[in-house]
Amino acid sequence: MTKTRGCNVGGRCQTLHMDTRELHTTCTIVPPYLLVRLAKLDDPRFAQAAAAARASLLRDSQIRQLRGGAHPFPYSGARTLPARTPGESDRTISDAGGQERLPGRRVRAEGQPAGTDPATNEAYDGLGATQNLFWTQFGRDSIDGNGLPMDATVHYGKQYDNAFWDGERMVFGDGDGQVFTRFTISPSVIGHELTHGVTQFTANLTYQGQSGALNESISDVFGALVEQHVKNQSTADASWLIGEGLFTDQVEGVALRSMKAPGTAYNDDVLGKDPQPDTMAGYVETEDDNGGVHLNSGIPNRAFYLVADALGGNAWETPGHIWYETLTGGALASTSDFVAFAAATADTAARLYGNGGAAHDAVMRAWATVGVVAAIPSPLPQQPAPPPPPSRPGVPRPPE
Amino acid sequence: MKVIVSRSGGTAGIRLTWEVRVEEQPDPNTWAEFLNSLPWDDVTDSEATPDRFAYRIRCAPHEVVLAEPQVNGPWRDLVNRVRAANGM
Ligand SMILES: [Zn+2]
Repeated sequence: MTKTRGCNVGGRCQTLHMDTRELHTTCTIVPPYLLVRLAKLDDPRFAQAAAAARASLLRDSQIRQLRGGAHPFPYSGARTLPARTPGESDRTISDAGGQERLPGRRVRAEGQPAGTDPATNEAYDGLGATQNLFWTQFGRDSIDGNGLPMDATVHYGKQYDNAFWDGERMVFGDGDGQVFTRFTISPSVIGHELTHGVTQFTANLTYQGQSGALNESISDVFGALVEQHVKNQSTADASWLIGEGLFTDQVEGVALRSMKAPGTAYNDDVLGKDPQPDTMAGYVETEDDNGGVHLNSGIPNRAFYLVADALGGNAWETPGHIWYETLTGGALASTSDFVAFAAATADTAARLYGNGGAAHDAVMRAWATVGVVAAIPSPLPQQPAPPPPPSRPGVPRPPE
Repeated sequence: MKVIVSRSGGTAGIRLTWEVRVEEQPDPNTWAEFLNSLPWDDVTDSEATPDRFAYRIRCAPHEVVLAEPQVNGPWRDLVNRVRAANGM
């Protein structure tokens, strides 16, 4: 009898140890988040600053690659010297034709017009939307931050109910037609899979227990942001659903997951009820699914939504920047748990937007609401000044 | 004698379970022979990768967990047969 993998369920034994890698921010004068803001300014008055900031970001990302960029999986996409403008998409879609062999037959390269196959067109557009979000909002050029070509295969397998990032490329099944339709139909799912690539090249969170649930949650966060950004939806307008439209109309459900209300995305005879918890009180201990990485991700997913809801506006702005800088800034260990991630996002918010500012406050409150950190007294930063001591004749008052 | 295949993970994170009671099948002897011929003791651990399926297969006294890329040859055959017997 072969025993099942020894699952480090919960990953609670991990302690946060600061990564010894040098932070890239120490060698640049303008911090990357500000460069990112400059690089995306569309106002013509700032065109020159924006162009310079883009160039600087590019250099910086190249330096980061040279310094540290561990590649956990070998990949074949490295390019020789470029005839490529940084930030431009470089997509190739292949068709597996119902086989499980990769990459399949090449059907659409960058710049070629749309054809008649919806899966090919959706994959091409979804890859473009993902590149667009990461480049324009975070100054990140593709999955590796260095222009890695984006490759995807559609029509993988027969009635294949899944999509995944295999370490080099995106792979999409057509679904079985009874429960799932094709997996390219949802921009948030495409963004989700590509973000697994971004995580692989950055914090490289171990896909087990709490670090695995964080890996999953980060894919949901940026998957949702890809969809909101391409649809130009604010936090209030957005559905906060992952995989909307993926179920056939025979299923009682709207999506795979809800970031706003984890546990409410479906309730169906065959699939059962959406099992995601929305606070630590519901944390699921299981040996399946690598320790419930797709279940417990509901907890950090909701924390992100709560931050976005508290701050209002577009979630890819302040909330997205806090999460992106935390993911890529080097403060996370690959084994970080929820508590360590909460602390890291709070530190990032304080560093980027001010200690005790609205963003910092929103992050602290969000993690408290989902039960990852202890509840904080309300209101947080403004302690009323202590009343002055009563003045009595003959007693010197303390200096004001 | 029964065999239970439980698939978890995938980007959907939805667990589906299929079960076959061998005695109730039209060809119980073929099933029993096939189940006994599976390489139960040769399964090795494999590294977790994002969004791939994991298959837990139980047939007392055996229980194995296979990562999706390990579901090949006779295991693939088993999963397909169990799903087919369940009508999907
Ligand atoms: Zn995932």
